[in-house]
Amino acid sequence: MANELAAFSDELAAVVERAAGSVAAVHARPRFSSSGAFWRPGILVTAEHTVRREEEITVTLPDGSNAAATLAGSDPGTDIAVLRVEAPGTPAVAAADDPAPGHLALALGRSEDSGINATLGIVSAVSGPWRTWRGGRLDRYIRLDLTLYPGSSGGLVLNSAGRALGIATSALSRIAGLAIPAATINRVVDEVLARGRVSRGYLGVGLQPVELPDHQKGLIVLSLEPQGPAALAGVLIGDVLVALGGAAVADTDDIQTVLETHGVGGAIEVAVVRGGASRSLAITVGERPRRI
Amino acid sequence: MRGLGEVAERLRRSTVQVRSLAGRGSGSGVIWSGDGLVLTNAHVARSADLEVELWDGRRLPARVLARDPRRDLASLRVAAASLEAASAGNSASLRPGELVMAVGSPLGFAGAVSTGVIHSLGPIRGMGEVSWIRAQVRLAPGNSGGPLANAEGRVIGINTAVVNGLGLAVPSDDAADFVRRGARPSLGVTLRPVSAGALILDVEPDGAAAMASLKTGDLLLMSVDELYAALDSGQPALRLRFMRGAPSGGRLPVRETVVRLGERVAEAA
Repeated sequence: MANELAAFSDELAAVVERAAGSVAAVHARPRFSSSGAFWRPGILVTAEHTVRREEEITVTLPDGSNAAATLAGSDPGTDIAVLRVEAPGTPAVAAADDPAPGHLALALGRSEDSGINATLGIVSAVSGPWRTWRGGRLDRYIRLDLTLYPGSSGGLVLNSAGRALGIATSALSRIAGLAIPAATINRVVDEVLARGRVSRGYLGVGLQPVELPDHQKGLIVLSLEPQGPAALAGVLIGDVLVALGGAAVADTDDIQTVLETHGVGGAIEVAVVRGGASRSLAITVGERPRRI
Repeated sequence: MRGLGEVAERLRRSTVQVRSLAGRGSGSGVIWSGDGLVLTNAHVARSADLEVELWDGRRLPARVLARDPRRDLASLRVAAASLEAASAGNSASLRPGELVMAVGSPLGFAGAVSTGVIHSLGPIRGMGEVSWIRAQVRLAPGNSGGPLANAEGRVIGINTAVVNGLGLAVPSDDAADFVRRGARPSLGVTLRPVSAGALILDVEPDGAAAMASLKTGDLLLMSVDELYAALDSGQPALRLRFMRGAPSGGRLPVRETVVRLGERVAEAA
């Protein structure tokens, strides 16, 4: 009869119960709290857009107690904030393999009043690396078809085996909640713990895609930041960038992709066409100014 | 999945539509026992003239046995025997993530089913110390008073409200307690929690508050939680401090009234 359904229901509740020990409530904004997941022992990750203050952040731990948290750093581009919390014995999550569309997804959150909370849905789309409107890069685009209620952002997204697909955010897409993938969280947590922030490469140029008379594609320099990295390297307004770091560039996205693999402070070779002649310049990659 | 349709169908047969003949609202209800006891929300059973429509289309007049506006429950009696009663589950052992389904007549669609999981359990700040089931199910006006059931089709809650998109249900254990013991003392008011206390939005005619000359717009100088604790303390009368009128420059005088509380309605059993 309904035994299969009841068994499935029990399994879901058991998955929630097992993972509940890694999910905390995060109090870092007015009105609604948000949720966070212990990604590593003592390291809680949450959605950056829910962290509206840098001090006096507290979290409600799985045992119901409140603890102080310090902001180790955050990356608005990928909507990840990394908090340090003294919480001995709190288990960290285990990451899942890549999901496929149609897989079940459970989003777990926590609030101080109600404790652990769960919503069920499916993974509705998965694709390769994706640049967010905030400028960061997600290693996978994982779209969720499930309801994210106020306070769910930053919560743990699990597959039906109880492994972590990532953390939930409602701020990166207008049409659906996304899971910030586990690989991205690992990358950002590593960088934040090492440097306190995620630094992004910066050239200090305003660019527009153009096609040259020989049908080669490139990006024309429309503006230059005075004393910016490109200006210091001798780039002029009107130059057409055709390659960066040895890779052809036809779109501003190509520039971002190349800069992600070149650390701030390192030199990068840029090929430009100026007055019909090709030349090569070396730019010392700067750091993108923080948004205020 | 096998079983879902079957569970829903059984639950549908124990779900009724509740209509007010005076035109004051309609909703759903659960057949609690086969001899004609129907449970619904107090906000559905506001008028004395109610009609219950069974799943097979039969329409029966219903009489209100007891109303508990604070827990938003009401019990009705219809003159019918061998109805298909729902079986109640144990709401104390629920866990977030369990599958649930709601049956009712949202926006008038009789017998509509929506499914989801239990979101969270426990009290809600500003709504007293009572426990609620929050469920990720889509509810609409007309679901009120209908059943929320688990994967076995056992009723674990009475759908009551929607808050931030989440379905709110009164746990079935509380419903069973209400059936057993009748309504708890009530002021007969609709309250909104405010920082200074509790603002009276509406006063039921003939309720305890109306008898004590409390009016819409009065501000009770105690929190909703404190008020509920006082009501549950078993005292036959409560002395309430309140303020009346809009503050115009000066401070409003604090007034006092004594509210006499009715006995528990023992008729339900």
